[in-house]
Amino acid sequence: MIQHLLYINHVSKHFGGNVAVSDISFSVDEKQIFGLIGPNGAGKTTLFNCISGFYPVTSGDIIFDNKTINKLRPDEVCHLGMARTWQRVKPLGSLTVLENVMIGAFSITHVTREAEKIAIEQLESVGLIDYAKKNAGSLSIGLKKKLELARVLATHPKMLLLDEICGGLNLTETETILGIIREVRDKGATIVFIEHDMKAVTAICDWIVVLNSGEKLAEGTPEEITGNPEVIAAYLGGGHNA
Amino acid sequence: MVSGGKFLQAVHFKGVIMTFFFQSLLSGLLTGGVYALAGIGMSVVFGVMNISNFAHGDLMMLGMYMAYFAFTLLHIDPYLSLLLIIPTAFLFGFLIEKVFIHRIIHHPHQNQILLTIGLGLIMSNTALLAFTSDPKILTTSYSSSAVTIFGGISLSVPLLLSFVITCLITGILFLFLSKTTTGLALWATSQNREAAQLMGINVSKMSAIAFGLGTALAATAGALIAPTYYIHPMAGHTFLLKAFTICVLGGLGSVVGAGVGGVIIGVVESMSSTYLSSDWKDVVVFIIFLGVLLFRPQGLFGKKGEQ
Amino acid sequence: MKQIAIIAVIAGIAAVLPLVIGESPYFTGVLISVLMMAALASAWNILGGYAGQYSFGHAAYFGAGAYTTMILISKFNLNPILSMVAGIVVACIIALVTGSIVFRLRGHYFGLASIAVAEIVRLSALNFDFTGGAQGILLTDVSLWGVDLNSKTPFYYGMLLVLVVTLGIALSLRTSKTGYYLQAIREDQDAAASLGINLAFYKNKALLISAALTSVLGSLYAVYIRFIDTSAVLDLRLSIEIILTAIIGGVGTVWGPVLGAVLLVPLAEMLRSNVIGDALVKQGMVSETSGLGVFLKENLAHAHVLVYGIITVLCILYLPKGILGLLGRKK
Repeated sequence: MIQHLLYINHVSKHFGGNVAVSDISFSVDEKQIFGLIGPNGAGKTTLFNCISGFYPVTSGDIIFDNKTINKLRPDEVCHLGMARTWQRVKPLGSLTVLENVMIGAFSITHVTREAEKIAIEQLESVGLIDYAKKNAGSLSIGLKKKLELARVLATHPKMLLLDEICGGLNLTETETILGIIREVRDKGATIVFIEHDMKAVTAICDWIVVLNSGEKLAEGTPEEITGNPEVIAAYLGGGHNA
Repeated sequence: MVSGGKFLQAVHFKGVIMTFFFQSLLSGLLTGGVYALAGIGMSVVFGVMNISNFAHGDLMMLGMYMAYFAFTLLHIDPYLSLLLIIPTAFLFGFLIEKVFIHRIIHHPHQNQILLTIGLGLIMSNTALLAFTSDPKILTTSYSSSAVTIFGGISLSVPLLLSFVITCLITGILFLFLSKTTTGLALWATSQNREAAQLMGINVSKMSAIAFGLGTALAATAGALIAPTYYIHPMAGHTFLLKAFTICVLGGLGSVVGAGVGGVIIGVVESMSSTYLSSDWKDVVVFIIFLGVLLFRPQGLFGKKGEQ
Repeated sequence: MKQIAIIAVIAGIAAVLPLVIGESPYFTGVLISVLMMAALASAWNILGGYAGQYSFGHAAYFGAGAYTTMILISKFNLNPILSMVAGIVVACIIALVTGSIVFRLRGHYFGLASIAVAEIVRLSALNFDFTGGAQGILLTDVSLWGVDLNSKTPFYYGMLLVLVVTLGIALSLRTSKTGYYLQAIREDQDAAASLGINLAFYKNKALLISAALTSVLGSLYAVYIRFIDTSAVLDLRLSIEIILTAIIGGVGTVWGPVLGAVLLVPLAEMLRSNVIGDALVKQGMVSETSGLGVFLKENLAHAHVLVYGIITVLCILYLPKGILGLLGRKK
């Protein structure tokens, strides 16, 4: 049997009377590139916030690496080997690019010099090393997204949750990021990928779950999903309303 | 006969205790009404602008002095002088927002707090230079008069008048916030500044109006307590902390919460002076403040639940 | 390394300064105030500047040190050093209570709660008997290991030592994991938490370090002045002066708080002792008998807080990063 790294078991999240995520279940296997897609307001980011410990779930369980994590704080989840990026990037603006990535690296070392070494490696791997001494706040959006990626990679995660990492990027930038993600997977990490843009997802994902209005609409391989009339309807419908 | 006498004594004693209790409760309610006004003022500013206004107490202090000078120089009754104080204070607050606060509306909130602290220091220390540190007392013909109700409970006339006026002003404020276009625009801005802006609401004007309103309410509260408190340049300090406690108790940014919070704090204060000691009443208030943060940080009427 | 060298050089200069200016108790007093405010603002800066958690009630920790020390010395004749350590313990307990209540929360709460805690401490000191109530505590005679503590010089070196230690801690924190974590918390709490930073733990750590240092300064100050009451060591105004010193110099930097103290304390001293008013009269710019002259003479001494207020407003509007920020230096 294949080992599930992440197991989402009947998870619901309500905000007051609003149901943001309703009874969702799926599992992510090791070394998968897993896509979580859906129109705006489908509940993708809410689900990410639940998984990464920022929101308590209303009901259900989240199991990561054989541990139930839905009562843990975000920093505890991070120490178990799950790291996330943010749809609206969150650079530590007045710190340098290098310092940003070092702060990620401090989750696996206490020594400043060691953290600096890890950070430099990660900056090289995403191609940001030339910007190491720049203030993180001054970077362009494309570079900020790369910085987010370098920063979470410096925590040496088993699993990466990427929230619209390609959003707002041009084609070349998207290609670079997707390339980095493939490399990371090949080194042994598992990737869960939220994306609004279907093309990016179908290009890279092994398995896709589609959310719509907080519920799971479908799951399958990219080919199955792109051929699914319900998914197409949800996307087109969402597109027309928006 | 003897036991009957004792019985009567006991009944009388019990009556005294009850009178004591209701006396304390009612005067707490009346003072609480005025606190509520100060709390509501701070809450409006917090709700619309998301700023903790540390000058709020000093604005109250200015209201006290305005009432004092209106009375001593112009011979206007302190309650009547509100007609003068409210528009003046509104204009003052509106200008302060336009000149100072609006420039830092997108700054980190620490800077906003420091700016209002700085403005407060300027106000209180200018008052200190202008009016000296000697406390002033506003004595009207009815300052120390009281009415007695239910045989035994005496209520101070100025406090009673203040309470009635507080209720009136709160009522008008509610009508303004819920019925007028400006009021609804203020409300919308407090719910979601960005969305309000997209809907075409001039949010920077709303901020100035909110700060003007907050200032007017603070000054009104100051004027209303002027006949029953010592008036001195540093009086704002105590009221600032009370206003914060009221806002946090009611839920930061909730106008109704601030109203209820003010009354609760008034009663708590009065009860702790009666049953504990007036030296410790402020300590009790601050312990309640910490208790709220510990057990119900969103306050009694808080709208910001999770996040 | 360069920074450590700067500390060493400045400390060296400061150490020989009393020998140069001679035995002027007045100037020694002003210098002690400068050193103390520099250390207070630096200690505050570890929490407020690095971690972005603005405490508006640091007087509580200063007062905790001052009161604990004075009570233990005056009532139990305890050794001043031991009573200083006791002060640290009391300050840390207050800090832990505050931190455990508010550091779970986001937003404006810490600032507000820090004032509430400081007021509870102040009012308690004012109303309890063992703290001397409104009369405060007076110390008639104190000595340590045969050193005469009636002279100001030992306190000058004491304050200098605490300042050097505080700056050393501030400096070593800057380049350590804790220092980076605190700065991450200041910049973005969500990002910090998602990178594995236990927000409450590190905020409490910063608060404890800051409170302990502040308490030591309170103990030292109390024994130096030999009289304390709530308005001297527990007042909200002290908390505000500490913040303003850090802000005006440059919040979040190692040297900003020191610069702030070097500029502001002498300024306040000049206003307080009416040097400026006298100078204006002496220069013949204002006649001593004119209305303005009389006003200046009588009131300028009270105006230093007003001046602080004006400087704060100007600083936030035009120099939000402080004077060091203006000079464009990060460290």
